Amino acid sequence: MTYEHFAIFIVIVPLIFSFLVVLLGLFRKGLCYPLTMVALLVSFIISLGILDSVMTNGTIHYHVGGWAPPWGIELVVDYFNAFMLVMLTFIALLTGIYAKKSVQQELPEKIVPFYALFLLLVTGVIGITVTGDLFNLFVFLEILALSSYALIAIGSDGAPMAAFKYVIMGTVGACFYLLGVGYLYVVTGSLNMADLRMLLPPLYANGAVQTAFIFIFIGLSLKAAFFPLHAWQPDAYTYAPSTVSVIISTVVAKTAVYALIRVIFSVFTVDFITLYVSILDIICWISAIAMIYGSIYAIRQFNLKRMLAYSSIANVGYIMLGVGLCTSTSLGLTPALMHILNDTLMKGCMFMAACAFIYKTGLWDIRDFTGLGRKMPYTSFAFILASLAMIGMPPGVGFVTKLYLIIAILDAGQYAFVAVIFFSTLLMITYFWRVIEIMYIKVEEGEGSEKGSAISIDEASMGMLIPGLILAFLCFGIGILWLTDIPSPILNAINSGFGLGVIP
Amino acid sequence: MFEYIVSKFNYWAYICLMMIGLYAMIVKGNLVKKLIGMNIFQVSIILFYVSVGAKSGGATVPILTAEDIHHAHAHVLANPLQYMNPLPHVLMLTAIVVGIATTGVALAIIIMIYNRYKTLEEDEILVIRKESGV
Amino acid sequence: MKVFVLIMLLMTGGLLAYGVKDFPGWSNPNAPASTHVSPRYIQAAYTKTHTPNIVTAVLADYRGYDTLGETVVIFTAGMGVILMLRKKRRNKGKDNV
Repeated sequence: MTYEHFAIFIVIVPLIFSFLVVLLGLFRKGLCYPLTMVALLVSFIISLGILDSVMTNGTIHYHVGGWAPPWGIELVVDYFNAFMLVMLTFIALLTGIYAKKSVQQELPEKIVPFYALFLLLVTGVIGITVTGDLFNLFVFLEILALSSYALIAIGSDGAPMAAFKYVIMGTVGACFYLLGVGYLYVVTGSLNMADLRMLLPPLYANGAVQTAFIFIFIGLSLKAAFFPLHAWQPDAYTYAPSTVSVIISTVVAKTAVYALIRVIFSVFTVDFITLYVSILDIICWISAIAMIYGSIYAIRQFNLKRMLAYSSIANVGYIMLGVGLCTSTSLGLTPALMHILNDTLMKGCMFMAACAFIYKTGLWDIRDFTGLGRKMPYTSFAFILASLAMIGMPPGVGFVTKLYLIIAILDAGQYAFVAVIFFSTLLMITYFWRVIEIMYIKVEEGEGSEKGSAISIDEASMGMLIPGLILAFLCFGIGILWLTDIPSPILNAINSGFGLGVIP
Repeated sequence: MFEYIVSKFNYWAYICLMMIGLYAMIVKGNLVKKLIGMNIFQVSIILFYVSVGAKSGGATVPILTAEDIHHAHAHVLANPLQYMNPLPHVLMLTAIVVGIATTGVALAIIIMIYNRYKTLEEDEILVIRKESGV
Repeated sequence: MKVFVLIMLLMTGGLLAYGVKDFPGWSNPNAPASTHVSPRYIQAAYTKTHTPNIVTAVLADYRGYDTLGETVVIFTAGMGVILMLRKKRRNKGKDNV
């Protein structure tokens, strides 16, 4: 069956193309970009094929090299992976379209290694997503991490320091994960996720398993920048080159969240979390703090990218609040899964717009944005659509997330979090309204009046504009889609795969 | 109690080593020292894994003896008690390489930092960055 | 600051030690790590791969995909270093080109 091989193809395609980019780039630099785009396009098409195959034939199990698990490595693609794969490869494709101009401007003499590393980053992301083996996940986590360290370090200003901080914290995260896997290995003797799921239940009361859970959780939270462990994140997002900001704020961040959810629910299962470590309430409260903290810090920033970075911390809080509530509501993980996609769309669009502003005008301080709404109407329009969606204007994706989260909260009976959501929405309105106000309304006053008539349309190039606009429209298109019944088979299948969504 | 401590001494050793590494990573102000701390931290995990592979009672390195190869040709299975557990060794070969690669990238970043600020002390870099108005 | 760090380290170490309490003793041949997956490697590796060195057999065959990842890690690090440190040759004088 050819579909089975798709699971390994989707990892191998960007990998082989990254070698090709280096090899052919030696002779002709012009080939790098087309090769990258071919790889991203092919991965996206394969991911659609995988989703189709999973929906018709069920979970894909692929034994790499023909070695049966748990002795060999197994790739497993179920609904959750397939959903993530389509999303991640789609965003990577759009970022690839976006990359062309900004890389030409920012890093003209580093095109070859840049695209090679970009593809390696995508390889790492996909490798993490399809694997069914804990140690293999670590290896791909490191491919992802190493490529993002290097890509962040070549940014402007404080980028090397930001990258170094990320190296230190990222390595601690990866090593804690590895340590947790080691603890599991000592008490079970296996590394395969499905095998561990079978072996662990009699050992749930074992201190080693509980310690392993805590270390894996902390390690992956570090990678996902979940609240108290986010210290590396604002600097890294702010100083990275444009394309890299876009890809790490969307694809890389969500991959870490994916790994976290996968390990929590596929390896340890809901029973373990609710009965033996009871961490879900703690996750809820930390998420609530993250939502408020991220929003308050976002208000204090004048650098647009840094503001978005803090907003990302708040949004990881939203996702984790959905995870924390999953056992006490019949919606299960639905709000969290929705927000993984929703935040990716909104943050991708906003970072694209923010970097287009920098690309075209060199402005990064919000206070200098007067008249930008007229100067770059379409980019500003995309930014505003995404920020309206994030604030929660129906039927935007942010509204859907908040709606489902509130339903889940009411279901769980923890009414305090409704207040938290409303408060954080209020804070979001504050910081996005400030940007919108300066971009559109402030034109007539102050500096704007001098230039007044001098403002002419000076829009970013099509390559940078179109991906942002696509994402901006998807912010509302997907919002409407979530409200219909079309995605529910996927969401239900994911929930039932984790044993969620049914109130005992 | 004493017996309990002795029976798991390898784990206590790796925990101590790991704490030393973590301490250096957090407290030291010099970036190279932080990196050395990171290496100690990684090595402690490698030691932990490799020690898991050990078997007492005459087990040797996981390379089949000529005798067992001969047996394997005759479809007689080797006795697992004779050889150490090969899997942790395999995993750590990979982890060592990952650690080296991380160190390499971190050193490259350190070179970039040095070229930009002409120092590797964290507090001095902070002062320089404040003075330049960021 | 240092006191805070020390307290945090002690907590981490304590947690790790708490996990160790339920481990089988060191080098116990009946520990799960030595009885679940690894005996099959020792017994079947030679007939399957014809390599007397079991570590090699597992590294390159059973878990060859990990080893591919490992090579890619090195490649990534190499490309990363090139990306970060490579300068235009013009800076050192054009006669080098």
